[in-house]
Amino acid sequence: MPEQNITYEDITPLLLKYPKDQRHALAIMQDMQRHFNYIPRKGLEALADYLGCHISGLYSMATFYKSLSLKPKGRHIIKVCDGTACHIRGAVNLVSGIERVLGISADEVTGDGEFSLELVNCLGSCALAPVMVVDDEYYGKVTTDRLPEIFDALRGEARP
Amino acid sequence: MLIKIDGKECGCKHGEFILEVAKRNGIEIPNLCHHEGLPGQGCCRVCIVEVEINGWRNIVTACVYPLERECEVFTNSPRVIKQRAMVLALLHSLAPGSSEVSELCEKYNVPSYRRFVKKNDTKCILCGLCAKACESLGTGAISTVNRGTGKAVTTPYGEPSYECVGCASCAKVCPTGAIMVEEGAGSRKIWGKKIPLLKCKKCGEPAGTYMELRRAAEKLGEGMPELCEACRKKEIAEKLASIYGY
Ligand code: SF4
Ligand code: FES
Ligand code: FES
Repeated sequence: MPEQNITYEDITPLLLKYPKDQRHALAIMQDMQRHFNYIPRKGLEALADYLGCHISGLYSMATFYKSLSLKPKGRHIIKVCDGTACHIRGAVNLVSGIERVLGISADEVTGDGEFSLELVNCLGSCALAPVMVVDDEYYGKVTTDRLPEIFDALRGEARP
Repeated sequence: MLIKIDGKECGCKHGEFILEVAKRNGIEIPNLCHHEGLPGQGCCRVCIVEVEINGWRNIVTACVYPLERECEVFTNSPRVIKQRAMVLALLHSLAPGSSEVSELCEKYNVPSYRRFVKKNDTKCILCGLCAKACESLGTGAISTVNRGTGKAVTTPYGEPSYECVGCASCAKVCPTGAIMVEEGAGSRKIWGKKIPLLKCKKCGEPAGTYMELRRAAEKLGEGMPELCEACRKKEIAEKLASIYGY
């Protein structure tokens, strides 16, 4: 959802789930991330207002944690493992394969907002290297020729 | 309680930090991120010393290490010299633009490590004192953002902050002078925001920004101050003098 379409009616219910206490800041931000696919500026401002804290502290948290983002992410999040084992078994080829198929490189989102790509470190499944995870679904021993098929199946499919 | 620092006996209270005790006794321990008004930052690690308790020796950070039992402190042992040199070399590659850091490097004979790449000429060592000062004043206009190599200090979204009152406390506590404050004829520019300055009614020097003075007045429940800090102090001194008839 683009920022201008987000209203306080969208944001308020997310805030009201938690008591007004600064220790819930992270949980609320995680909920916003899940709901909007990112943390909209309006959301951050409303949260500061709700908790009675400075926006700078929340901004600091939102930029610190990798699972939070201030820019919209894709509906499907592709994580390519670039840990040692996967790196050796061709994670880099996988990344350039995705770049060819979807036209995005790491930390970018496709124009239609369907996919975004992230590089992560060891996912703990080195035996399956190179590993790719899309929306918590694992794909092992991925070859670049399988990519179009995987992405086509996901496109249009609802987000889990 | 008695402890020894570099062989000198020093009295101290239980729980006092090594750095304070050393300072009181005229023993120099270099430090960057320590500020008396904002203690406990403990992140630059320039102040490391070696502490010996019951024959066990440990490297500790003097600014946040509380003295709890008798011990002996060494501020220049071979281990301290070596590790401090590494800390300084790393800080120098992080903030090559800082003369404070380069001076410390020179003073403590830090070799230049070619494998440490200098990426820019920033002065900031990312100690976070500025953000802490801003927060503790209740303004909270700046904070540390991102992490790892992308870490920096800025305002939210890198925009001129509507919360900043232009008091420049961040710049005052910064150990490396990394925060830009431009003071023009009638205004001060900081964090991309220009705030008008009020002039002292007496000496005509700038007394502070309009916003910071208003904030201070609100807090104290007084009217807007009309004099600058120096003239205010002078006025109080004169008043006292006339009362006590010096
Ligand atoms: S600007 Fe100064 S006070 Fe702030 S983090 Fe950098 S070095 Fe520390
Ligand atoms: S390195 Fe990729 S799963 Fe371990
Ligand atoms: S002065 Fe002690 S860690 Fe910075």
